[in-house]
Amino acid sequence: MNLLKYRVRTFFRYKDLIGALVSRDLKLKYRRSFLGYVWSVLNPLMIMIVLTLVFSNLFQKSIENFPVYLFTGRILYDFMKASTTNALKSVTVNAPLLKKVYMPKYIFTVSKVTSCMVDMVLSMGALIIVMIFTRAPFYPEFLLCPIVIVQVYLFCCGLGFFLAQLHVFFRDIEYIYSAVLTAWLYLTPIMYPLDVLPGYLQTLVKYANPLYYYVEQFRALIYYGRFPGVRVFVGGWLIAFAMLAFGIWCFQRSKDKFILYI
Amino acid sequence: MIRRAAKRIANIRFDYPFYTLEEFMDDHDYIVDVDHLWIRFNLASQKVDNLKEYAIKMLKHELMFQEFFALQDVSLKVEKGEAWGLIGTNGSGKSTLLKTISGILKPYKGTITKHGSIAPLIELGAGFDGNLTARENIFLNGMVLGHSRKFMEEHFEEIVDFANIRKFLDSPIKNFSSGMKARLGFAVATVVNPDILVVDEVLEVGDYNFRRRCNERMRQMLAGGTTLLFVSHNIQTVKNLCDHAIWLDKGVMRMSGESGPVCDAYLAEQEATAHANKEKKRKKMREEGKQYDYLVVGAGLFGAVFAHEMAQAGKRCLVIDKRNHIGGNIYTEDVDGIQVHRYGAHIFHTSDKEVWDYVNKLTEFNNYINSPVAVHKDELYNLPFNMNTFSQLWGIRRPQEVKEKIASQIADLHITEPKNLEEQALSLVGPDVYEKLIRGYTEKQWGRDCKELPAFIIKRLPLRFTYDNNYFNDRYQGIPIGGYTQMVEKLLEDVDVMTDTDFFEYRKEHADQFKKVVYTGMIDEYFDYQFGHLQYRTVRFDTERIEEENYQGNAVVNYTEREVPYTRVIEHKHFAPEEEHKNPKDYTIISREYSEEWGPGSEPYYPVNDEKNGALYAKYQELAEKEPNVIFGGRLGQYRYYDMDKVIRAALDASEKELG
Repeated sequence: MNLLKYRVRTFFRYKDLIGALVSRDLKLKYRRSFLGYVWSVLNPLMIMIVLTLVFSNLFQKSIENFPVYLFTGRILYDFMKASTTNALKSVTVNAPLLKKVYMPKYIFTVSKVTSCMVDMVLSMGALIIVMIFTRAPFYPEFLLCPIVIVQVYLFCCGLGFFLAQLHVFFRDIEYIYSAVLTAWLYLTPIMYPLDVLPGYLQTLVKYANPLYYYVEQFRALIYYGRFPGVRVFVGGWLIAFAMLAFGIWCFQRSKDKFILYI
Repeated sequence: MIRRAAKRIANIRFDYPFYTLEEFMDDHDYIVDVDHLWIRFNLASQKVDNLKEYAIKMLKHELMFQEFFALQDVSLKVEKGEAWGLIGTNGSGKSTLLKTISGILKPYKGTITKHGSIAPLIELGAGFDGNLTARENIFLNGMVLGHSRKFMEEHFEEIVDFANIRKFLDSPIKNFSSGMKARLGFAVATVVNPDILVVDEVLEVGDYNFRRRCNERMRQMLAGGTTLLFVSHNIQTVKNLCDHAIWLDKGVMRMSGESGPVCDAYLAEQEATAHANKEKKRKKMREEGKQYDYLVVGAGLFGAVFAHEMAQAGKRCLVIDKRNHIGGNIYTEDVDGIQVHRYGAHIFHTSDKEVWDYVNKLTEFNNYINSPVAVHKDELYNLPFNMNTFSQLWGIRRPQEVKEKIASQIADLHITEPKNLEEQALSLVGPDVYEKLIRGYTEKQWGRDCKELPAFIIKRLPLRFTYDNNYFNDRYQGIPIGGYTQMVEKLLEDVDVMTDTDFFEYRKEHADQFKKVVYTGMIDEYFDYQFGHLQYRTVRFDTERIEEENYQGNAVVNYTEREVPYTRVIEHKHFAPEEEHKNPKDYTIISREYSEEWGPGSEPYYPVNDEKNGALYAKYQELAEKEPNVIFGGRLGQYRYYDMDKVIRAALDASEKELG
């Protein structure tokens, strides 16, 4: 119990640092650029236009309003990709600092995931623009999407912890993970409807791909305007917490050895 | 199971350096308690960080084989308010111990308990982001050290003032100089008065002024009850700042306790090792028969500058000196923290900008200005002879009055052609100045009556009709901070040096190992005194430590009466007011100077520039010109009085001539 109290107290002691690191990431990202934060909206918008032009003809019949369909999946995937690749290097990149000052090492991982989340929330603006432009209907369920974002955030933190500690000991994970990410993109129904896949793959994606749970929920709220199914909703939360617990466990187990390897 | 869990919790506790005092202050006396600490590293060569290597190593059962203990069974108990110095050579584990105490490294075996907050100054400005502005970095860095945003806002002004960077608050820190970054880092790190301050050599960077301010701030903290853990290579600083010390050697604790004895023991061993290394080097050089372009005889200023220039040009030089130290007569030695000019006061002054820049590139100079005073009976006069002196003599204030006074005094004497020094001096300054300030002093200097001394010794006596006590007329003046010896060390950095080596002995055995000789010893000795001895004036120093904070209030005091046996008294600490300001001492070191007649065997100081010696030198010089492959240089080699700047100029000219 005492231990937990310490954990919490330390976390609160450093909460301002997390805030500062997040705002540093965001500030530096667009500091020298002319349009600044507008790029957070503009960039996904431009990618979306390209993707829509390429893919919309392919699935014209099965999917109505392809841009919104694509965007709702893509936005989550981009967040997951950006946050975990950043988190992966969060400990190793800050090695010089960790060698000099004592501080909880998870701060860096958490701050990376958080700054990516803020970036994603900004790019929700792009989604809204697309919805207005394509005259997609706005459902009141839209307002519930933070529930999904929190799940993905927890999931990404967990995955980030796992990758960050692994990267300290095996730098190869960086390249392996980038291959995994590509496979993951194509195994998630983002650019295509799930039913184009052969049966066995469909089952695999439905049950074993965590991202599927989040994309499904997200689409239900925004695209279809209904509450997500119980399976994906409960499953999403379970996966998020399981991943978080696993990530923290791995991280805690090896964090004292980091200093010898960075 | 429960025991394991309990053990884990016990271990995990050390992660948190920020627990509050109440919670952990049971009945402990020690603020830091290191108990049988072991730290293990995997050697860098064994760093396995990719999968392939890992698999191979795993198959070969080689994983984790090479281990290395950075600290072995080190114990350290620190009480509140103590200041501990951590000393030892590079790689002895000092920084590792500090990092473990700060919580960065975890013990492999043993425990560390701490009570209170820690401010680690292991690297100034760790965590500065070059792309952020100074303002943003202050906040970020403060939070890295565990402060809240609110706290940083409250102390923001204080930090900016200490770091003195207000003008640059909103420029990116990557444009800052390293000194500015260090200042800012120090200001942020010391914004709180921590219970424990951990300092790791960070203050050795930065300019003198910055170091002084840092030391001041650290003293303030110490006075306020902060406990200090301090790593430094500068044993003197450790002695001054710390009351306790621990000496680590290759991860093992050699000694710990009161800082005085520990530091002394450490220094003694350092010296012994250095000596052994020197012996080894000599032996090796002898065996190898290393070839040199130049053998420089005498490690004084001429030899050192010449060798430095040659080494810069890629020539190989060996410098030998028969004394047991380098530097020749400008040698200064550290006596209880005071730089003592062992062979008499040396004040660097020059009007040669090139020479001034040259020495300033080697070392930092202070702004010492020589303004000696003269004591005659109970009266005290300013030197050189200036309006202060005259008003002290006669109680008159205006230059015109003084000129008239002196002119009338001289006119009364009716000297047309001065036959000796007394008449010469009288005809230049009149009887008052002569009797009180010149006569006794000159007689002591030459050991003869002024009437028996030739007139030409004094050609002119400069009188100044301004209130200016600066002894020298040169544009640049000062004394190296930290003494002359380290300046000479700098010159000889890339040069082989052998002290305790006599040239004539050395030449017997190694005549084939050098192409040319630069000889800065006595020229008559080189030619075996075949025309007889050149004469010198020499000075004897009687150096004494006095348990008094300030003995005479000035670096140089001349005693002009004949009845006082010494000519002047030097109080060495006044040559380095900046050092005294930084580390005030309640004792002082003085040297009384006595003029002595020179005889073979005593230290030669000043050449005697009379006709007889001049003619003798001319004969030796003729021989010197015929001597192949030998350059004669310096005060003794050229038998002439040289100021330091002139010697440097001469050595630079000589080396330039050699290099063509």
